[in-house]
Amino acid sequence: MRALSIASTGMLAQQTNVEVIANNLANMNTTGFKQQRAEFADLLYQNIQTPGSQTSDQGTYAPNGIQLGAGVRTASVYRVTTQGDLKSTGNPYDVAIQGAGFFRVQQADGTDAYTRSGNFSLSPQGQLVTQDGLVIQPGIAIPQNTIGVTINAQGQVNATVAGSTTAQTVGQLELTRFPNEGGLNAIGNNLYLETPGSGSPQAGVPGSTGYGTIQQGFLETSNVNSVDEITALITAQRAYEMNSKVVSAADQMLQAAARLGS
Amino acid sequence: MDNSLLVSLSHQLASYRAMDVIANNIANASTPGFKREAAKFEEYVTMMRPAEGQTGLQAVSFVKDAGVMRDTGQGNIEQTGATYDVAIAGPGYFAVQTPTGLRYTRDGHFSLDNNGNLVTSQGLQVQGDGGAITITPNDGEISIAPDGTISSVVNGIGNQLAKLKVVEFPSPSTLVKQGANLYSTTQTPTTSTNVNLRQGALEASNVQPVIEISHMIEVMRAYEATASLSKSQEDLMRQAIDKLGQMPS
Repeated sequence: MRALSIASTGMLAQQTNVEVIANNLANMNTTGFKQQRAEFADLLYQNIQTPGSQTSDQGTYAPNGIQLGAGVRTASVYRVTTQGDLKSTGNPYDVAIQGAGFFRVQQADGTDAYTRSGNFSLSPQGQLVTQDGLVIQPGIAIPQNTIGVTINAQGQVNATVAGSTTAQTVGQLELTRFPNEGGLNAIGNNLYLETPGSGSPQAGVPGSTGYGTIQQGFLETSNVNSVDEITALITAQRAYEMNSKVVSAADQMLQAAARLGS
Repeated sequence: MDNSLLVSLSHQLASYRAMDVIANNIANASTPGFKREAAKFEEYVTMMRPAEGQTGLQAVSFVKDAGVMRDTGQGNIEQTGATYDVAIAGPGYFAVQTPTGLRYTRDGHFSLDNNGNLVTSQGLQVQGDGGAITITPNDGEISIAPDGTISSVVNGIGNQLAKLKVVEFPSPSTLVKQGANLYSTTQTPTTSTNVNLRQGALEASNVQPVIEISHMIEVMRAYEATASLSKSQEDLMRQAIDKLGQMPS
């Protein structure tokens, strides 16, 4: 009896669905987090009678055929890369990207990672770093005795040092974009890695064609919509229950078959 | 051999088949573009020799699979917000290129690959009017019009990039399911003229859980009834053997 295994693929798929929704809800307040969605696809079909097969030599054809499905599988869990809302924080080192692009940071092993989470701080050496201490690339050092830092929409970082009335340019934030943002590999800590699926990184100045702009004093919130997620959770839970009903119905039918010989 | 047991058996096998189809519908209740199916049965009439007191051949009907009918009705349009998710409202299929030729799908969850080509979640290229559709990051915000036109606005200048190919078939129910939300066919597709697409949405499956569950209960009860019929037939036979086997002393 196939119904048992078909229903179990349905239960597994809905389980994945609930896990994805749970992760979205858990990251509702994560800066720069992008909502994920599970997408499903039907499994292979067994053709008992192929649709459109000839049923006589008079040229009559079966309008339907008999194709038996084997259930469902998770085809992909993809990120919805829409812009999150910008939230004002007032912190001069909080920067949000409005539009496309990622900040590039250097990991401990020297390789590059990418993030949209712009809640930066200063390292003991005055370098602009993420909350995990990873240095923003290209490196930007804020001089000592700085009394004010402004970052404009094009990513230019200007610092005013105590005793001086004019601001000096101390660095330039760069944005990196990919042909396919959805192909980036999320490694946690709001970081993404380049993959063959994402295509090669292309660095550019914020505000130039195809790149987003920088907003100082703001953070990009996650683009998770709690109402959507809760609705999806209810749907997934009901679908799971229905699949389990199929399991018990198939079980009852098999029990009835087993009773025949007694 | 007594036919009643074989008739019951044919119904029980048919019930298994019906149950499998219902299970597949419920398992795919969240599969975008999935179309629900229903098992259809037909009578298979054969002649048996007359019982005592009857004259002429007697007809006996077995149950036989006639087909699995696909309900190609429209599924709900669900908002996802993703730029490259496209739902078809009304008839039509997207064309995608696979290593074994063109396949068709109503699952409009697309994304870009590393070269900027519009692809399905299996990485198969979605076909536009001029073959594969390529979108570069320089194109900026992409919008997909209801007729499938993909365009973008860069620095205030709008430009048309491609047009999604949506095709129709003379007989949609004979498209062969390939799994992975794809259909194959030998029919010649015609390009749809009256296309209605929605960007940022997916077509949900048209499985209606309430209907599937009530069908399931129906199938299960019918199966149990047949099973008890077989049981009583078997008892009858056993009794006949017992009684007839008692030798007069």
